[in-house]
Amino acid sequence: MAEVVLSHISKKFGSVTAISDVSLTIGNGEFIVLLGPTGAGKTTLLRLVAGLETADAGTISIGGFDATKSAPSSRDVAFVFQQYSLYPHLTVFENLAFPLRSPIRNMSEKDITAKVKEIAGLLRIEDKLQNRATQLSGGQMQRVAIGRALVRSPSIYLMDEPLSSLDAKLRGDLRVELKRIQHVMGATVLYVTHDQMEAMTLATRIGVMKEGHLVQVGTPREIYTDPVDLYVASRLGTPSINSLPSKDFQVAGIPDTVHTIGLRTEHLQIRKGKKGSFIGTVNYVEHLGDQDYLHISINGHELVTLSNPDDGLSTGDEVSLEFVNALYFDRAGNRVHRGKHP
Amino acid sequence: MSKLNEIADRAAGATPPSLAGAVRGLSDKSIAWIFIAPTIILLLAINIFPLIWTIYLSLTNYRANRPNAELKFVGTEHYEKILTNPDIWAAMQSTAHFVVWTIVLQTVIGFTLAWLVDRKFRGHGFWTTVILLPMMLSPAVVGNFWKFLYQPQIGLFNYIISFFTGAEPSSFEMLGSVQLAPWAIVIVDTWMWTPYVMLICLAGLRSIPDYIYEAAEVDRASNWRQFWSITIPMCLPFIMLAVLFRGIENFKMFDMVNLLTGGGPGSTTEVASITLKREAFEKWRTGFSSAFAIILFVTVFGLANIYVKALNKVKSR
Repeated sequence: MAEVVLSHISKKFGSVTAISDVSLTIGNGEFIVLLGPTGAGKTTLLRLVAGLETADAGTISIGGFDATKSAPSSRDVAFVFQQYSLYPHLTVFENLAFPLRSPIRNMSEKDITAKVKEIAGLLRIEDKLQNRATQLSGGQMQRVAIGRALVRSPSIYLMDEPLSSLDAKLRGDLRVELKRIQHVMGATVLYVTHDQMEAMTLATRIGVMKEGHLVQVGTPREIYTDPVDLYVASRLGTPSINSLPSKDFQVAGIPDTVHTIGLRTEHLQIRKGKKGSFIGTVNYVEHLGDQDYLHISINGHELVTLSNPDDGLSTGDEVSLEFVNALYFDRAGNRVHRGKHP
Repeated sequence: MSKLNEIADRAAGATPPSLAGAVRGLSDKSIAWIFIAPTIILLLAINIFPLIWTIYLSLTNYRANRPNAELKFVGTEHYEKILTNPDIWAAMQSTAHFVVWTIVLQTVIGFTLAWLVDRKFRGHGFWTTVILLPMMLSPAVVGNFWKFLYQPQIGLFNYIISFFTGAEPSSFEMLGSVQLAPWAIVIVDTWMWTPYVMLICLAGLRSIPDYIYEAAEVDRASNWRQFWSITIPMCLPFIMLAVLFRGIENFKMFDMVNLLTGGGPGSTTEVASITLKREAFEKWRTGFSSAFAIILFVTVFGLANIYVKALNKVKSR
């Protein structure tokens, strides 16, 4: 394991800028998740660290060595690809053993077998070792792909949406497993996803990407509670943050520059009745089981928020709303802090 | 939908009442048989019947130039004669030499070319087309112009060889020499059909996705190891298919050998198909040559079957 430092990395494909001046330090043993929509440059950044692409500008250092121009094989990184990329003509055992058979490693056959069995046990695929890679189900293939990275002890694990092609249940299981394994091995991981759930649960720090820029880096809690702009705020939270124009809502004591009020469930106090700062009407209620999605129309805008099914709110009810510690943003979407409170 | 109905109605109206009556009441299966019957009859007439007829003739002393002579049943006499005849074995050996060497050369060169063309260098499309040209020519044309190329006095081939080796161009005859003639044919066939092998290998190489190589690179596999543990195994079914096609094709190679050497000098390039043609249409030993044809057929069929089994095994990996 090692510290990986990216400094002022830029990458263009033709005239398209994929990565623009990104700096990021991934500490030893850290699990960093890059979050962002499709096309934000997450995968490109991962491929740059792996050496599958070469940066146009900036430097990458892995474990103190300048790896900016090194070939992938000399960087000692492990990569889990989104599309499994198992060797289809080999058995599961041979797929897992493939990285260990590198002449650089010079490992004995006995050690290889022991290591493969250990990792297969960890991922619960030990009974599949003699199967061909192509005879596995999607979930098993993805485990083998993860296993092929785990058999090694590289400087850093790079994972490109490794769980995205799995069904919800399996994704949940593997997510927990991945976190446990990372914890046990003390691995350094750079992980790409567009799934906020994965980002929140796996990351020690999240990096939010937008159009090739790294917009904000911080712990999941920081990113959630203290986003630098509306874009970051809208990456996390279900239902996603409500943004209302401040001109339609008179809130006392907020700066003039505020253009948008961002409201999550915890920023709203909702009571039945007409006694409150703002009065709205429940448009309809989506029942999710343990909680409800409440659609409220207020001053010509619509809000979506979570509510407790026991609150007894139903379509057509009039409700009063209070804003509590809402997030404020200016015209460009940047965060505006209220008073001295950061 | 109404348009379809209308067409169906018109078709029904145009069907003669007698035919309509005959077809009505037939099961789906019977109708299916009616549709495939012409094909089956044609196949029986031009494939199966001649085969059976050849087997029958191989057991008789029939001669096609004397159709009225008395037909005598000779049993397996022809087969025994063929299998103990040293000339036939020599022909089989020539065939084997030809088949093995053309396959080896075409596979090695074809795969190498495919591997180079797959590099996607500047103008690789153009070069692919250039490489494919020989394959598009007629064997008759190829045979004839290689005859000129091999000409000791004026042939380009001899001049090129002499340029590199320093030997006199007219000091050797590719087609006239006992040692060189078999190789002359191997060279022409390789020149003509290597592009075909290349094309199949290229399809194989293109079928390997880039991310497999990326994974291997991250797994710290050298180019050498990537080639042997990914490129070759994943390309193998394609290579084997090319070998199968070329093997069957060259086992019955006739036109090019006939044009270039006609089996000579002596009988050094007399491959099985040339022997067969001599026995059947020069000596008119129809019964004997039928037996030989059956032996060749069983040989190719048997070998191809064993080979296809191996191919399927590789493919199912």
